[in-house]
Amino acid sequence: MTIQEKYKARVKELLSTGAVKMVIGYKPGSTAERRRPLFMRSPEEADQLVLDTACIANLAGYLVAEGLLSDDKRVGIFLKPDGIRSINILAAEAQLNIDQIVVLGFDIDGQEVNALEGESAGDFSALIESIKDHAPEAPRNPLIEQIEQMNPIQRFDFWQTEFSRCIKCYACRQACPMCYCRRCIVDSNQPQWINTSSHTLGNLEWNIIRAFHLSGRCVGCGNCDRACPVNIPLRLINARMGQEVLGAFDHFAGMSETQEPVLASFKKDDSETFIL
Amino acid sequence: MAKIGVFICHCGENIASKVDCNKLATSIGEHPGVAVALDYKYFCSDPGQERLKKAIKENNLTGVVVAACSPMMHEATFRKACAEAGLNPYLCEIANIREQCSWVHTDYDMATQKAMEITRSMVEKVKRNNKLQPIEVPVTRRALVIGGGIAGIQAALDIANAGQQVVLVEREPSLGGHMAQLSETFPTLDCSQCIMTPRMVEASQHPNIRLLTYAEIESVDGYIGNFQVRIRMKARYVDMSTCTGCGDCITKCPTKKISSEFDCGMGKRTAIYTPFAQSVPNIPVIDKASCTYFKNGKCKVCMKSCELNSINFDMQDEFIDLDFGAIVVATGFQVQDNSVYGEYGYGKYKDVINGLQFERLASASGPTSGKILRPSDGKEPENIVFIQCAGSRDCSKGVRYCSKICCMYTAKHSMLYAHKVHGGIAQIFYMDIRAAGKGYDEFTRRAIEEDKAAYFRGRVSKVWQENGKLMVRGVDTLLGKPVVIAADMVVLATAMVPQPDAKDFAKTIGIGYDEYGFFNEAHLKLRPVESSTAGVFLAGACQSPKDIPDSVAQASASASKVLALFSKDKLEREPVVASNNETTCAGCWGCVLACPYNAIEKKDILDRSGKVIKRVASVNPGLCQGCGTCVTFCRSNSLDLAGFTEKQIFAEVMAL
Amino acid sequence: MSESFEPKIIAFVCTYCTYTGADLAGTSRLKYAPNVRIIRLPCTGRISPMFILKALQQGADGILVSGCHPGDCHFTHGNYHARRRWMVFRTLLDFTGIPSERIKFSWISAAEGHKFAELINSVTDDIRKLGPFDQYKNLIRETEAPATL
Repeated sequence: MTIQEKYKARVKELLSTGAVKMVIGYKPGSTAERRRPLFMRSPEEADQLVLDTACIANLAGYLVAEGLLSDDKRVGIFLKPDGIRSINILAAEAQLNIDQIVVLGFDIDGQEVNALEGESAGDFSALIESIKDHAPEAPRNPLIEQIEQMNPIQRFDFWQTEFSRCIKCYACRQACPMCYCRRCIVDSNQPQWINTSSHTLGNLEWNIIRAFHLSGRCVGCGNCDRACPVNIPLRLINARMGQEVLGAFDHFAGMSETQEPVLASFKKDDSETFIL
Repeated sequence: MAKIGVFICHCGENIASKVDCNKLATSIGEHPGVAVALDYKYFCSDPGQERLKKAIKENNLTGVVVAACSPMMHEATFRKACAEAGLNPYLCEIANIREQCSWVHTDYDMATQKAMEITRSMVEKVKRNNKLQPIEVPVTRRALVIGGGIAGIQAALDIANAGQQVVLVEREPSLGGHMAQLSETFPTLDCSQCIMTPRMVEASQHPNIRLLTYAEIESVDGYIGNFQVRIRMKARYVDMSTCTGCGDCITKCPTKKISSEFDCGMGKRTAIYTPFAQSVPNIPVIDKASCTYFKNGKCKVCMKSCELNSINFDMQDEFIDLDFGAIVVATGFQVQDNSVYGEYGYGKYKDVINGLQFERLASASGPTSGKILRPSDGKEPENIVFIQCAGSRDCSKGVRYCSKICCMYTAKHSMLYAHKVHGGIAQIFYMDIRAAGKGYDEFTRRAIEEDKAAYFRGRVSKVWQENGKLMVRGVDTLLGKPVVIAADMVVLATAMVPQPDAKDFAKTIGIGYDEYGFFNEAHLKLRPVESSTAGVFLAGACQSPKDIPDSVAQASASASKVLALFSKDKLEREPVVASNNETTCAGCWGCVLACPYNAIEKKDILDRSGKVIKRVASVNPGLCQGCGTCVTFCRSNSLDLAGFTEKQIFAEVMAL
Repeated sequence: MSESFEPKIIAFVCTYCTYTGADLAGTSRLKYAPNVRIIRLPCTGRISPMFILKALQQGADGILVSGCHPGDCHFTHGNYHARRRWMVFRTLLDFTGIPSERIKFSWISAAEGHKFAELINSVTDDIRKLGPFDQYKNLIRETEAPATL
């Protein structure tokens, strides 16, 4: 039995027994490489389920849809390890009750999709631990290296060129499971901290503050990157910030549902070499 | 429409010599929203303040900027003047053009330019200032003192003697704490019991003190002036209202071989017991874990022996809910468990004891009636080796800090030993002698010079038994030679450590603690008796290792803080506090974690049927101290800080 | 770069330590460069990264952020929170091409009037050497230009 069939059977079982009220998974998209989210409420709907190497989107953000979890019923969701980390963060930030989530875990390894052992977020803690342990030597995006090799003027130009394309459509925000605020800072106009116009300055401010808000919270799922209609490599900034919090504070986002947010906590001996 | 008045002070020549005040007034007068701009020699003077008040009234000003000295100097002065002219004092801001401009720059034009920008920035801020009212918090005039040792008793007595109500809670069956266990006290060698017991009695009989022993704090809610505390009265199994403390039950109790906590295991007690003869209250408790009846369902000898029928085996824990305006935490310390020091043989050799056990041996009311006798065979030791810093200043097995009292009590032990056992030799291994305190160094010199205590500067590496002696191998670093001493007894100057449950207790009460579990003061130097939570004060060794005089001093200091709090019906606080926009709050509660004062609570927003619609953060203005850390954390920009709002700061920056 | 370039520097400081330290520099009549404008906040914990962006938008060539030394915070640990934020924000700015040499952080206590004066001078010198932050100023200019369609 393929993993897709195995999980399809499991989804049907969960839905027919009433163990969950909904399962969030994937179905075919408009092209062979694209998948769409599938919200299954009945066993029959599971027939559309697809699980293959194209299922790369992080679905965690759908869990915080207004009212979905407010009836205390359980919801199943297909998640890769990054998605599991996302729901840990969402739980740590009081956005969901982790006990309500049934995780249908999978991982993509080249051309293979593998099932992950366990159904509650806590079952994957050893896996996430090992991802964290391997994070420092994991291959970095060569573009990050390249940007770091540049001098500040070149870096500024690089990002200015990238950000100049931004049309402030906020698709990055929409796609990000961490952008659950009822009102985003950019929509706050008393005062208007971030220029809403899509001139480069406004775009720079928006993207800097967004990256700051994601520091220590981004799991690198790439939803923002893929959602961006003008292909700004947003993921690079977030990945760089992920390295920073890991190196400076040993913080790896989404380790557990009790992890303290890195910027709401501190250690007395945090590094301060940059302070005069 | 804003009508801002700008008042530029020459401060004699102090400002005017470096800043063109006239030009400043003219140019700021043209700034949008500025209704009037005046300069004057001394605005802080009476005529100056009158000018300011007159201008406020004549121009119906909506805000005031005084460009003058630092706000640290005269913000209060000018705000008061504004209030007298009918303007809300929080609509007045100071532009600091003296300390941060005229006094530090030499170039007239540059300084004038800078003063202009500083003032303009403040004008833009003040346009966005809000009328604020001081926060009034009602005060319940009753203090809770937690811990019935010397610190707690002192704080309770001081508050009670000033006429305020106190509830004193002690978790043991009797008041007294560690001080009641001590023999004599340094540096006077007066008997600890003799000075302690009268205080215990006084506290128990004081009309303003309600004493709750064998009781623990279950929960603490609320904030300064308004704490709601639930106290658990542990079941004593003895009716306090009828028991006279005759002690018949104790005499008759067949379970007699329980190791006495009060005697640090050097003596025995019964299952129904008072910790010591002078216990206050002198009413026993039944130790459920050791009592034959509770274990086997048979016995009840105590019940039969009690003529007043005071014994009740069905008693249950009870809860008392009380409101308090202030809390004094005086929960004390414990001594470190020395069994981690295998090399010293503690726990292995009976004659290796800790400092507190030695106190019990030396105490007239102790298990040996004050005779220094070896625990192993009851013989008088011919020599005793004392090892200082057994745990203190030891990064590897002990604690990094200095326990502060051990140098003194070791000197005292050597003297007590010399006085009680003539010819006895006290040999002391030490790292440094830390005898800072009134009469302290003189005291250690007396131990050395009069009572012939032999001090060896060095550490002990091993203690082992050989031919009935404890062999102590150490080093005398001053001579640079190893030393081996055959001792009859070894006393370890054990480190003081926080109560084992200190961290949990701190969380219950909502105060901070350090890496060890000592409670954090609000400021190490300037607010050493206040915790970081407003209305909660610290006394004694729960904050850091302390001796008796320091504990008492801190307790009295805490009491004075409590009394200051109780001196008014209502607390008035600066309204510089955070508030949350519950509509936009995402309920991530990072602010709850980040707040240093536990001032942010989690709040459920309910619909009419009582169903939770959403959960948000809610700032308690009684607890908020106005640092603004939460505001910066808030991603959705829902939190803001009065007096330093986002709008105000935005405007300040955008005017530069 | 012209010899006469005078940088514009905006400082965000906490009221209890650095602001009071700056006052002390004044009462001690120390002299320092007049390029810095101070915004007073209750605590470094209140200093938001957005303040820095707005200061840049106002044409600042350099930014200074300063508060109480670790352990000295009037609010017990606002500065510890701030330190983490700065650490992260600094890296972020650096990665996006806003040089960390332009954004300075320091601890200055209420007693360190001398340190304050020296710091202002050295920061002013440093920024003067870096020259105007032209790249950012070009972005600001772009916002002022009429939209081109």
